Amino acid sequence: MKRFGVLILMLSTAGLVTLAAQSRRIFTNPRPEPHFKALFPNAAGFSALGGTPLHYKVYGEDPKANPGAPPIGFIFWTTDLVPNERAYHGPIHFLVGMDMRGIIQGVVVDYNSEPYGYFSVDPPQFVAQFKNKSIRDPFRVGGDIQAVSRASITINGAARALRDASRTMAKTFLSPDQVQ
Amino acid sequence: MIGLVLSVVEGQPADPWGFEEVAVETWADILGPQYLDLALLAAFLVLAWVSFTRKSVPLKLVTFALAIGYMGFAKSYLISITNIFSVLDWNWPVPQYNLAWYLFFGFTVVSTILWGRLYCGRICAYGALTQTLDVVLPARWRVEVPRPIEKRASLIKFGVLAVVLGYYVLTHNLLIYQYVEPFWMFGLFGTTAMWVGLGALLTATLFVRNLYCRFLCPVGATLGLMSYLTVFRIKRWSECNTCKMCQKTCQWGAIEGPKILVTECVRCDDCERLYADTQKCPHWRIIEYQSRKIQVLPLQPIR
Repeated sequence: MKRFGVLILMLSTAGLVTLAAQSRRIFTNPRPEPHFKALFPNAAGFSALGGTPLHYKVYGEDPKANPGAPPIGFIFWTTDLVPNERAYHGPIHFLVGMDMRGIIQGVVVDYNSEPYGYFSVDPPQFVAQFKNKSIRDPFRVGGDIQAVSRASITINGAARALRDASRTMAKTFLSPDQVQ
Repeated sequence: MIGLVLSVVEGQPADPWGFEEVAVETWADILGPQYLDLALLAAFLVLAWVSFTRKSVPLKLVTFALAIGYMGFAKSYLISITNIFSVLDWNWPVPQYNLAWYLFFGFTVVSTILWGRLYCGRICAYGALTQTLDVVLPARWRVEVPRPIEKRASLIKFGVLAVVLGYYVLTHNLLIYQYVEPFWMFGLFGTTAMWVGLGALLTATLFVRNLYCRFLCPVGATLGLMSYLTVFRIKRWSECNTCKMCQKTCQWGAIEGPKILVTECVRCDDCERLYADTQKCPHWRIIEYQSRKIQVLPLQPIR
């Protein structure tokens, strides 16, 4: 009987703390624009967030001066493209720039809550290895993506998110013969 | 061309991209990269469990060595306060790609409910490290904490747990873990301040046995609270009401007269080995003495 009481007490305490924790959900950064120039240094303008799946279009000419100009690439959040992908502690918020040939122009880690993020996805070497990477590459941890021992759940989740998000964007907006 | 026509006929256009992840993943694809990890982890858990059920000291020492080497330095499989944050946020790794981690986490939860803080006693790499220190270091270095202080100090870990959970709920800053637990040491990445703090903690542990586990660990506190549910508890004899032998042997301060404090007990087997010792435990001595009386007295007249 006493054990039952302890169980009820523990469950209700855990429930209350969980509710309190839920009240402070982390949302994707609504103002990622300062990162855009790092992903596409030569871009002249960017669209607003829109489309299905959600993305920003990148233009080589100012879209206000030349509204008909085609985009030269896309910027998107992995959290929008593969919302169910998670690493060790929830999704890592990656901002990805990809050109029209399916080549990743750059990756920004905008937010992560990985306990071992500080030696896995936070160091600039992590995102550097995705620059100029084709979406046809295997994205295999320990192969073309450097493995980090003791942080494998983080690295594997990150690699899957970047691979699947970029490939989903390519399948929706590019054609196979555009992509090398 | 024929392939294209065929696929159109079947109503499903062939996938022109040919990405490998497009194909439906089979269990063989999912298990392929994981089976070695799974097998090694399962082998370790079986060893830990056998060493526990056999009450074997040599097997326990082997378990410690593997806990430090494999679970700690090689894999960093440790239950951390961040896992408790994960439960609160309901943020979990993707199950099918992290089967070994789920086996590890599941074993910890289930074993705690069945037997108590088994995890602390032999799976945790840090606990294994300090318990190994305890075996290796000369006994004369030890500073025995007086019982009243020990009892109060063992409450600190619950305070640490409450403060850290409160801090996390308010700030959602998970990196607080670096300052309340030393488990990151097995990842070998830390700032100078973290290493200095760890050095101080380990130095103190040279003199006060299992200092962190007994007094400070918020994960131990959580598992200790869960241990109130323990199904298979340590047996006590009626003689335990007066005998203090096990209480004096217990290096965890988990025995108080006839009572075992489930929040402190890590199922180290020290007292259970004594209970089983027919030469030392008063329970068996009394039975032996009484049986001798019964056998010897009625037989005398015949002799």
